Amino acid sequence: MNSTTRAPVAPQVTYERIYVWQWGVRAFHWINATAITVLFATGLYIADPFLSANGEAYDVFVMARIRQIHFASAFLFAIAFVWRMYFFWFGNRYARSGFPAVWKRKWWSDLVRQATDYLTLNVGHGHLGHNALAGLAYTLFVIGLGWCQILTGFALYSESNPGGFWDGLVGWVIPLCGGSLRTHMTHHLFAWGFVVFAIAHVYIVLFDSRQYRNGLIGSMITGFKFKPVERGDDDGAKP
Amino acid sequence: MATSVGTRPTTWDLLRTHGFERRDFLRFCAITTAAMGLDASFVPQVAHAFETKPRIPVLWLHGLECTCCSESFIRSSHPIAQDVILNMISLDYDETLQAAAGHQVEEIRRKMIAEHPGEYVLAVEGNAPTKDGGVYCTIAGETFEKILLETAEHAKFVIAWGSCASNGCVQAASPNPTGAKPIHELVHDKPIVKVPGCPPIAEVMTGLLAHVLTFDRLPELDRVGRPKMFYGQRIHDKCYRRSFFDAGQFVERWDDDGARKGWCLYKMGCRGPTTYNSCSTIKWNGGVSFPIGSGHGCIGCSEANFWDDGPFYSRLATTRLPGVETTPQAIGKVAATVAALGAAAHLVSFGAKQVLSRDADKGSSHPETPQR
Ligand code: HEM
Ligand code: HEM
Ligand code: SF4
Ligand code: SF4
Repeated sequence: MNSTTRAPVAPQVTYERIYVWQWGVRAFHWINATAITVLFATGLYIADPFLSANGEAYDVFVMARIRQIHFASAFLFAIAFVWRMYFFWFGNRYARSGFPAVWKRKWWSDLVRQATDYLTLNVGHGHLGHNALAGLAYTLFVIGLGWCQILTGFALYSESNPGGFWDGLVGWVIPLCGGSLRTHMTHHLFAWGFVVFAIAHVYIVLFDSRQYRNGLIGSMITGFKFKPVERGDDDGAKP
Repeated sequence: MATSVGTRPTTWDLLRTHGFERRDFLRFCAITTAAMGLDASFVPQVAHAFETKPRIPVLWLHGLECTCCSESFIRSSHPIAQDVILNMISLDYDETLQAAAGHQVEEIRRKMIAEHPGEYVLAVEGNAPTKDGGVYCTIAGETFEKILLETAEHAKFVIAWGSCASNGCVQAASPNPTGAKPIHELVHDKPIVKVPGCPPIAEVMTGLLAHVLTFDRLPELDRVGRPKMFYGQRIHDKCYRRSFFDAGQFVERWDDDGARKGWCLYKMGCRGPTTYNSCSTIKWNGGVSFPIGSGHGCIGCSEANFWDDGPFYSRLATTRLPGVETTPQAIGKVAATVAALGAAAHLVSFGAKQVLSRDADKGSSHPETPQR
């Protein structure tokens, strides 16, 4: 924005500072984002191990180590998942915001309005919590895909211990996918869903932050969002 | 071959009439016990079964198949196939191995069904084409589908030999022109044990039969109906090249240094990590070797859909989404590119709007965009 031509006439705007993201939600966000990044990177390595280790086999442990990191991050990812569920139920109202309440007109109209505003580059209506579009994206791409990866992932994990705990819990996923190889390929295909999400998500967060001047980027670190006092943002309270 | 319909002697009876001694009989029992994967303490139980139980009549049907299962079976080295066929089970009908022919043998089958309902075991090699009324496989003027259902109706249980009977195998591979269906999709009311593999290992086949005779029931099966004792683990879990997998030392070309050093075949498309079978423990041809031992990856011949889930020499298999036939990685890259292009297009139009609106009304502020 060219501030030299605008500054003299622009009205003075005061912002309100509102605590939106509780520490539990913020911690989840960064643990989740890190875990997914590590899972995707190590997962692609498992699919195509491009490093070639020299020396005797008893001296090196490259592939197994990468798999170990994948599994450790997988446990972290799954624990963070459960952790975030707790905040969905017992956190503040923003922790539930945007959730696809498909039985409510309000959610659908917010979804259409937000999508239109983003596409037509209108500012329109602001939100303090997640808007309906964001809520839908998190539900499909993070919760939905997350469950798919947890189910297929732990099913693959169970294969090294047939009859063990994980086999009993999620072993049924393998015949459901059409065998072990197809479970691998399903797990691999879904993995790319997170890439699509991450690209769109990071872009929209940057865009939204610029468009609404709401301090969105920093909010996932500090917990605070900003709102111009005169703008009536949706604060997620029940109507 | 003598038919045992009506007589039904025990295995021990039969061995005695062939001039075997007690010592030979016990040795046979010990070998059979080992083939079932049981320890020596089970030998008395096995001997007792062979002494007291009448031999199980087996009807062995051949549908759409290549006979590789029978070929494998007769090469069994532990309880050698001859012993199994002649002594342990009474093979009353088997198109490939029987001496009788024509209507005579069809008569044996019908007689067995009529006289011993619920007592005989049905072993099926191959599967049944179901398109166009099943005409793509007929025996003695009847469709195989009809013969199969008719014989299965009064069977004690059904053994699905090989990948054809268990999973459909090559004739059921896409586009499956004859509508071939594996046994479990046709026979619904009988216990079925699947013994997949193209072919299954001979010792697995005889081991299963030995178990069935000794205990008079099917062994413990896994979720998809395979005996756990032979299909409980992946090739990969008992593969002698596994240490190279863990190390990350892979063959990259068939003639490279890694291939000479016997490194892991994962990158050459080895399906060992996704295949349940006993090849890496029991091996083939009396324990001589198995594919990986000879420097070639596993192609997953005992897994469902293995023909469709190729290519055999690539780690990533083809994803069969409707209309799309490529690897998950290729699909993912396209999706990610589309997402990135979408974001870029949005950014460009946003930038363009900023520039245009600044030129249009220099100095005026947007009511909806609070400025700093
Ligand atoms: C965001 C989540 C995840 C992503 C992006 C991801 C990605 C991947 C990818 C790309 C592969 C390679 C697939 C192949 O070509 O065979 C893979 C393999 C695997 N993943 Fe995940 N994964 C995720 C979560 C999980 C979870 C929660 C588990 C649970 C333990 C898990 C367990 C496995 C296992 C066992 C393998 C196979 C390793 C092997 O065959 O050696 N993954 N993952
Ligand atoms: C530099 C990178 C990132 C930044 C700056 C960022 C920032 C943010 C912000 C500001 C929000 C709140 C947006 C809203 O109101 O809807 C958010 C939410 C979220 N982000 Fe990110 N994000 C980043 C990367 C990622 C990645 C890589 C993932 C996972 C693939 C991810 C997953 C999520 C999820 C699941 C939420 C919903 C949070 C919740 O309600 O618990 N983020 N992110
Ligand atoms: S050769 Fe195949 S089965 Fe053996 S360790 Fe490598 S991938 Fe596994
Ligand atoms: S190694 Fe694999 S492809 Fe070869 S016989 Fe065994 S299961 Fe079949």
